[in-house]
Amino acid sequence: MLSVLNRGAAAPGALKPWLLLLPLVLFLCAFFLVPLGQVALMSVTEPEFGLGNYAHLTSDSLYLQVFINTFLTALGVALCCLLLGYPLAYLMAQSSPRVAALLMLLVTMSFWTSFLVRTYAWMVLLGNNGPITAALAFLGWNPPPHLLFTRLSSTLAMVHILIPYMVMSLYSVMKRIDPALLRAAESLGARPWSVFRQVYLPLSAPGMVNGATLVFMICLGFYVTPVLLGSPQEQMVAGLIGTQIEEFLDFGQASAMAMVLLASTMIVLTVYHRRFGLDRLWG
Amino acid sequence: MKLLPKLLGVLVAAFIAAPLFIVVPMSFSTAPSLEFPPPGYWLGYYAAYFTDERWTQPTINSLIIAFGTMALTMLLVTPATFAVVRHRFFGRGLANLMLTMPMAMPHIVLAIGYYSYLGDLRLTQTHLGVIIAHTALSVPVAFLILSANLKGFDRNLERAAMSLGATPLRTFWHVTLPVLRPGFAISALFAFIQSFDETVVAIFISGRESETLPRKMFESIRMQADPVISVVSTLLFAAVALVILAPVVWKAVRKRPNRDCARGGTPAAKDAAPQDVNPCAPSRVQLEA
Amino acid sequence: MSEDVEKAADGGACALPRRSVLKLAAGAAGVMAMPAIISSARAAEVLYVNTWGGSWEKAASKHLFEPFTKETGVEIRTVSPVSFAKLAAQVRSGVYEFDVTTLGGGDIVRANAAKIIEPVTGSPLASGLWKNAVFENGVSSHAFSTLIAYRKDRLTNGGPQNWADFWNRKDFPGARSLQRYGARVLPLALMADGVPKEKLYPLDTDRAFRALDRIKPDLRVWWTQGQQSQQLLRDGEVDMIGIWHGRALELIDQGHPIGISWNQAQIDRAYWVVSKNTPRREIAWKFIQSAVQPERLAGFCREALYGPLNPSAFDFIPKEEADRMPTGPQNYPLAVEQNVEDFGDNLQKVTQRFEQWIAT
Repeated sequence: MLSVLNRGAAAPGALKPWLLLLPLVLFLCAFFLVPLGQVALMSVTEPEFGLGNYAHLTSDSLYLQVFINTFLTALGVALCCLLLGYPLAYLMAQSSPRVAALLMLLVTMSFWTSFLVRTYAWMVLLGNNGPITAALAFLGWNPPPHLLFTRLSSTLAMVHILIPYMVMSLYSVMKRIDPALLRAAESLGARPWSVFRQVYLPLSAPGMVNGATLVFMICLGFYVTPVLLGSPQEQMVAGLIGTQIEEFLDFGQASAMAMVLLASTMIVLTVYHRRFGLDRLWG
Repeated sequence: MKLLPKLLGVLVAAFIAAPLFIVVPMSFSTAPSLEFPPPGYWLGYYAAYFTDERWTQPTINSLIIAFGTMALTMLLVTPATFAVVRHRFFGRGLANLMLTMPMAMPHIVLAIGYYSYLGDLRLTQTHLGVIIAHTALSVPVAFLILSANLKGFDRNLERAAMSLGATPLRTFWHVTLPVLRPGFAISALFAFIQSFDETVVAIFISGRESETLPRKMFESIRMQADPVISVVSTLLFAAVALVILAPVVWKAVRKRPNRDCARGGTPAAKDAAPQDVNPCAPSRVQLEA
Repeated sequence: MSEDVEKAADGGACALPRRSVLKLAAGAAGVMAMPAIISSARAAEVLYVNTWGGSWEKAASKHLFEPFTKETGVEIRTVSPVSFAKLAAQVRSGVYEFDVTTLGGGDIVRANAAKIIEPVTGSPLASGLWKNAVFENGVSSHAFSTLIAYRKDRLTNGGPQNWADFWNRKDFPGARSLQRYGARVLPLALMADGVPKEKLYPLDTDRAFRALDRIKPDLRVWWTQGQQSQQLLRDGEVDMIGIWHGRALELIDQGHPIGISWNQAQIDRAYWVVSKNTPRREIAWKFIQSAVQPERLAGFCREALYGPLNPSAFDFIPKEEADRMPTGPQNYPLAVEQNVEDFGDNLQKVTQRFEQWIAT
């Protein structure tokens, strides 16, 4: 076994690598592909064989609305992450290594902190007895608005949870931008704003695309935060799938929605892959 | 002109930091519910967390499941990574795709699948069931990190050892493994955390006996915003801070230049490890949450 | 867990090995072995009861669970939250999370139709209960009501006194919450729309949904768990809420600025049921039999402020306490009873439509 590991490249034939892969491939077949296949199967067999569940998806305005809402939310979250993440990544790229490291530490810490923790933190922040409501009341907004269980609260929390992905994607691109290019542009007489717009922005675009794709994709399938913080009228797909199961045990309808969600994610990935190559996305 | 974006950057940093730190004072608060600033301070909810079986049991469950996931993941992923990185063979692209695919799945989709499939196998509500599901989800992360490390491995080291008469086994044990140890460690750590943090699948398949901490937290937040959640949050946040800061501090003490981010590992290993693998960078996509 | 508690739980003799086991578990080495240890530590007979948590569970522990454990040696473990789907799911999967749960009137009709609860016929309870104790294979336990509660600090004009007020967004502005439970919400909507209480059933579902449309923008949260409804009102996340009376009274007793109105309070009944095919069904029936005993039920109802459905239980309840119960002589005339038998529509369908309505 171990000699196989080491002598690998010299070994002839395709059998040995497959032997090494076998346990994992078998495992993934049994515990990844089969359950996934079961979802696909349930979507056309529960409660009866046919495309009824999918037909229902298209005929009932509820599902269409939830899907549209999910896409718009994901788009909005990706946009907010970009708008907020960009200045931070820029700051990191322009700062001294020490400051950049410190900021990266913060981003990393946020990234690693369980999103349940971060969701809960937003409940505290936006709650009726929380600091933000108190601040609004202090500023004369009386009675202060309810912030929890609205589109605002779930969007804010999702932006907060996903912004590390954006910052990391942007930063990894920005730190590779050669400062000499910017100096050259400046020495040719360009003003700071046009240097930024015509040189820096295009050069950092790959990071923007990477980050936005990641955030958008993750947001599409978000379950926990919208369920805990969001408004009942603005459910997202994952939450509705959960309700279908938890309230009605309607595996067929839930599976059909899951398949559409999966397909949407795959489309985003494929489009990205065609244009940029998937390897870059995984970082 | 340059000041404005920087100021914005600082504001965003504050936006990221505030929610992380707010859970700390909350955990010492006497308030029976969500209230900030806290009306008073005590350690009562810490006592409640450590003595209430309804919190300690999920914590123990989560640890069991995360350790199990880590072990199973590494056991499966290690040989597979060697195969994919060191061999050229028919079907390699397919294998590569299969190993990274679980990463791109929205967790809710898999949650339905596991709920019904593991239910048929009578594995829902068992530790084993959750370990199996979490292992499938951890494979891509572990694989990507390990393969990046393995790609950067200088095979001349092995050749040198072999030419000096070492058997393949001794070479692996005394050369390959020590050099790759940080890669293994980080890979295993990621598998552990992936499992320890996973919520959505656990909500659906971990029942009474194998309830995980994230599931307990989720139910608790949904039911009543139990103040004990802020204690758990603080402890989790502290654990993260510790894991990230410890190597930084350690490095600073040893007067080595600071890196962008924490990376555990021996100095010798650092030269062997590929430069483009930053364990804290988003080298992973998890469509969980 | 403190050592004394542990010793008490294990009866002294076996306290030592278990404690060392717990210590071992604290070390990472022992962690992997935990499942085996846990299952052996729980070898004694156990019954799993699904509870509503909070004050409900506290009262049930004291008056129903502990006496039962003392009497039979069967340990009772509780599982929250209450979930109809879980009840159905566990019958389907055969892996039981709980053996016994309570269902409201609407759910018990659904559950019995779906055959996910054990029939009472053939059980030890088939005889020996009071008249009309069994309904749709559930054993009647207690009555509770959904009434209007509001923040006195936010609604200074006296607050809503009936469901029409609750629906009146102009005179009573503010955020609202109701239970995410169609069978209980639709009758409220009809009362708000002016339907007199004797003409509520069979329900005019379409009219109910039209009435609900009117306050939809203010319905910020739909609560699903009793404790959640308390938290929403206590923290002021909503200004008025349709809440279970016991939960509201508890908040008032804690000194929160909460007002309630017993007017048009909607009474529902809770029934004990046994999960279909659970391996512990015999203990489950034994437990239910003990839980509806007059004295224990009275103790539970006195503490949690429910109205006992076993008539003999009133022998153990002082008259003045009955006034705080929904079935008490003062409150009952104001109340409206749920009528699930003549509901007017298929409950499963109504629930589906209700969920869809919420989401859009």
